[in-house]
Amino acid sequence: MSSSDDDSASSGANSGPVLGSKPIEDGFSQLRVNDLANGSVNDDAAEGSGDREGVAVEVDEVEDGGSASARVGGTEIEEIGEARGMWRSNSEGEVEAQASPSSSGYAGERGSSSGGSGIGEEEDEIEEVRSDAGSDSQAAWMPGKRHVDEDDASISWRKRKKHFFILSHSGKPIYSRYGDEHKLAGFSATLQAIISFVENGGDRVKLVRAGKHQVVFLVKGPIYLVCISCTEEPYESLRGQLELIYGQMIVILTKSVNRCFEKNPKFDMTPLLGGTDVVFSSLIHSFSWNPATFLHAYTCLPLAYATRQAAGAVLQDIADSGVLFAILMCKHKVVSLVGAQKASLHPDDMLLLSNFVMSSESFRTSENFSPICLPRYNPMAFLYAYVHYLDVETYLMLLTTSSDAFYHLKDCRTRIETVLLKSNVLSEVQRSMLDGGMRVEDLPIDPLPRSGSLLPRLGQRRPFTDSQESLKEAYAGIGGPAGLWHFIYRSIYLDQYVASEFAPPFNTLRQQKRLYRAYQKMYASMHDKGVGPHKTQFRRDEHYVLLCWVTQDFELYAAFDPLADKGSAIKTCNRVCQWVKDVENEIFLLGASPFSW
Amino acid sequence: MGCSSSLPDRASGRLSGLNSENGSVNDAKNLRVKLVLLGDSGVGKSCIVLRFVRGQFDPTSKVTIGASFLSQTIALQDSTTVKFEIWDTAGQERYAALAPLYYRGAAVAVVVYDITSPESFQKAQYWVKELQKHGSPDMVMALVGNKADLQENREVTVQDGIDYAEKNGMFFIETSAKTADNINQLFEEIAKRLPRPTPS
Repeated sequence: MSSSDDDSASSGANSGPVLGSKPIEDGFSQLRVNDLANGSVNDDAAEGSGDREGVAVEVDEVEDGGSASARVGGTEIEEIGEARGMWRSNSEGEVEAQASPSSSGYAGERGSSSGGSGIGEEEDEIEEVRSDAGSDSQAAWMPGKRHVDEDDASISWRKRKKHFFILSHSGKPIYSRYGDEHKLAGFSATLQAIISFVENGGDRVKLVRAGKHQVVFLVKGPIYLVCISCTEEPYESLRGQLELIYGQMIVILTKSVNRCFEKNPKFDMTPLLGGTDVVFSSLIHSFSWNPATFLHAYTCLPLAYATRQAAGAVLQDIADSGVLFAILMCKHKVVSLVGAQKASLHPDDMLLLSNFVMSSESFRTSENFSPICLPRYNPMAFLYAYVHYLDVETYLMLLTTSSDAFYHLKDCRTRIETVLLKSNVLSEVQRSMLDGGMRVEDLPIDPLPRSGSLLPRLGQRRPFTDSQESLKEAYAGIGGPAGLWHFIYRSIYLDQYVASEFAPPFNTLRQQKRLYRAYQKMYASMHDKGVGPHKTQFRRDEHYVLLCWVTQDFELYAAFDPLADKGSAIKTCNRVCQWVKDVENEIFLLGASPFSW
Repeated sequence: MGCSSSLPDRASGRLSGLNSENGSVNDAKNLRVKLVLLGDSGVGKSCIVLRFVRGQFDPTSKVTIGASFLSQTIALQDSTTVKFEIWDTAGQERYAALAPLYYRGAAVAVVVYDITSPESFQKAQYWVKELQKHGSPDMVMALVGNKADLQENREVTVQDGIDYAEKNGMFFIETSAKTADNINQLFEEIAKRLPRPTPS
């Protein structure tokens, strides 16, 4: 997946070193060309991607089956009629839908999710019924599956903005984001019928549009994944999300689950995923807040260079003693990680692994030793993970290929914990969590001396200069200079990104999610193979100005006040890049061995 | 008598490096035993362990992943101490094939079912057979009917539990992790049944 990023970056004309002082203006001269005639490209500029896919059905090139790649023009699914039919297919079936038919006692063990508990705080709620009150509050997201009593006959179920389904090639439901899988058998069968109808014609269905809805399909051998969404996210993003859901399933079961289907095509997979609702719902939730899900990069907790080095050194000792990967994380941010020689850890694997650990309460209770699969590392085999929380948010994961290694890893953990406590790494981690990361209002006006520091206790925070004050005033006191509200910087070589802290006006989850979706859209359009690759993009709509800049080395996504002046926005982006460079020792994990291929 | 409250994991880390896989490492007065809990998901294995080790009960069920490791030391009347190193395994079907990883070398197996669920009693019998086939032959086995506080929903009679346990040479007890009923008794009883090393 990340290879496409490299393509777009390297195929550009201005691929010089970017962080230097000079090329920046050059970079943006191109921007003016891309910029549409009216000077403002609104949110739908990436439209090409929409119509291009249309209803047409394309043969997928890279499939396990190795089917020939040809575009079959004739096969089309007539959108509205067909898709409506699909949505209605079951409406006459069971009208009433209460307690689940708990076949085999399985329904009883479904995770810790007490069905129907968290009502409002959920994202992608029913579209018309409600949109502001609940999602606008900062209330924490509730893990677990909601609305288990719904099925495809429920009005509320049909109004959900974003559905995800996993089903088997025989049409058996495996997972549904909303509703009870068992009651969605008919609906699953319909999805399966659509897929196999197209497959029988030697083709493959990727996307169906029906009014506001997109139905995205992903076929992985005997496993089918489907997303039905009216969130207006680009096809590429939704497909990427299906890929991650599939990956999450592999984390839990490995790809060898395919063998069950070889033996018995009608194999019922739901029991195998028993109790993992929380894992999937937490992953799906992260699609609306965690940039790692579309950037394919991870982020680090800001730490003094020496602190991260200290953590890295003790992890390296452990890795030398036969541990494959040693990863120290705080929530979804990496403190440090090392891998055994030649072992490389893909950012998507890290995302899925940390999601698995964070969403499963059981890891917080005590030491744990569990089989776990890293799909990008080896989708066929389990590794064994020793997981231990060192404090409420900081956890250590030691991965090994040896199923006997528990007591060794337990020893390793004791050694690591001792060193981390002695060298104050854990307290620094907690402090960093409180302090937060980069803030747009701290963006230096003038280039810092080379040894700039982000962390207030290391380099003291500069008092505001006059020019800074006046600039701030010019933009009504919100955000950083030139109306900068937020940015994400992704380093291509490091597979890492850094995002600024949310600040006004992104006070609410809803606003943060909107911005996140805008970035995601921008990311997709920048990496669109049909239209792009682009170098720069400047869009203005009623919410903000979005500026994106892609080079060989990095990608920068920045959001500004909608009234921001383009020239100064561009200058500000240059300064952001310089700032990131100045503090890269603290915000990135440098020289991490797993990534030096 | 009762539980001496040692902190579960932090304190124990250092000890357990080398010999722990042997299941029980003993001098005459201080026994250390590996104990594994098996049983269907949702019968309360983790709740039993957390009640025993930390004296806590959390009514929100948390699905165990793989297996959790905890330890707890108890003192017996004859002034011996027994340190239990407990593997609390996940009851989910996908982990069944990996169970040997956890019960191999265990000196004690506690097979748990839920007295309100005949299915879980069936599952318990499956585990007993599995242990008889693949576990170490001198393993101390206990059959535990949990959720004894839910008398009104009982579906597995006490007699059924007793009969099955007797037939298979197991020790039987009904417990409630919720009310703490019989939890300490369970582990004390196990401790008494452990083979003692002959003092040299």
